[in-house]
Amino acid sequence: MSGEEEENAAELKIGDEFLKAKCLMNCEVALILEHKYEQIQQMSDDPTNQISQVFEKSLQYVKRFSRYKNPDAVRQAREILSRYPLAEFELCVLGNLCPETVEEGIAMVPSIKNRGRALDEEAIEKMLTDLSLIKKFE
Amino acid sequence: MFFHIVLERNMQLHPRHFGRDLREKLVSKLMKDVEGTCSGRHGFIVAITGIESVGKGLIRDGTGFVTFPVKYQCVVFRPFKGEILEAVVTMVNKMGFFAEAGPVQIFVSNHLIPDDMEFQSGDVPNYTTSDGSVKIQKESEVRLKIIGTRVDATEIFCIGTIKDDFLGVISDPGTNA
Repeated sequence: MSGEEEENAAELKIGDEFLKAKCLMNCEVALILEHKYEQIQQMSDDPTNQISQVFEKSLQYVKRFSRYKNPDAVRQAREILSRYPLAEFELCVLGNLCPETVEEGIAMVPSIKNRGRALDEEAIEKMLTDLSLIKKFE
Repeated sequence: MFFHIVLERNMQLHPRHFGRDLREKLVSKLMKDVEGTCSGRHGFIVAITGIESVGKGLIRDGTGFVTFPVKYQCVVFRPFKGEILEAVVTMVNKMGFFAEAGPVQIFVSNHLIPDDMEFQSGDVPNYTTSDGSVKIQKESEVRLKIIGTRVDATEIFCIGTIKDDFLGVISDPGTNA
């Protein structure tokens, strides 16, 4: 339980279990949930296949806040971000919020700055520009 | 943040389900049991995406029920302290406002709203800057930072702030429509 108290995403303290887990960007969750939603609807004659409120709210949320709509763009976004030394969690925060400047990027993901990694401001800037290009060409 | 993780659960199955579609029964019961639930440790279980393994069943003495350890992959939503995310405003009052990010409710107290934003009551209660350029009302989209979480047995509540750099309104429904 002591891990619970120290939890702080800004310093990437999210517990070992989640640090190692696969993180999903909103746009990725949208693809998964929409697929599942279609499956459920096809079997809708079965009354046991009720959609939970949590599912419905999550689907609405990720649809509203997806930066990339088509599956190719989603794949590209992850591909670009994974070229850089980022933790899964950091990668997804950047993919979700798409900060426009280096300053904003660091404010959103403070941990990219203070882990002494090979990620200087120039690299961050390049990463954010590449990311914004996907959106432009989508 | 959403995660894709593997969880394990011991499923009890009544003997009447033993037969050809035992596995199917097990999976549909699992979905009914866990989808939509919430725990402090793993957050909200949004959807099961696959079954990793079904272990050997263990017959319970006296009842005939069998317990199967089932490992399954699922999408969970787990908010973290310090995390920055986007949310939709659902209610505004003089104490602050409530916003929703997927299944989780986040409260932003008026102490954590920038000082230059004042509460305006009326038909559509809102927080507005003195020059009227920025407005937070129901359905506004805001970017906020989670500064605290409270966990009880079946729910997670969060406290958030928009009083920091790069936080606040992304779009308000009035100007965007």
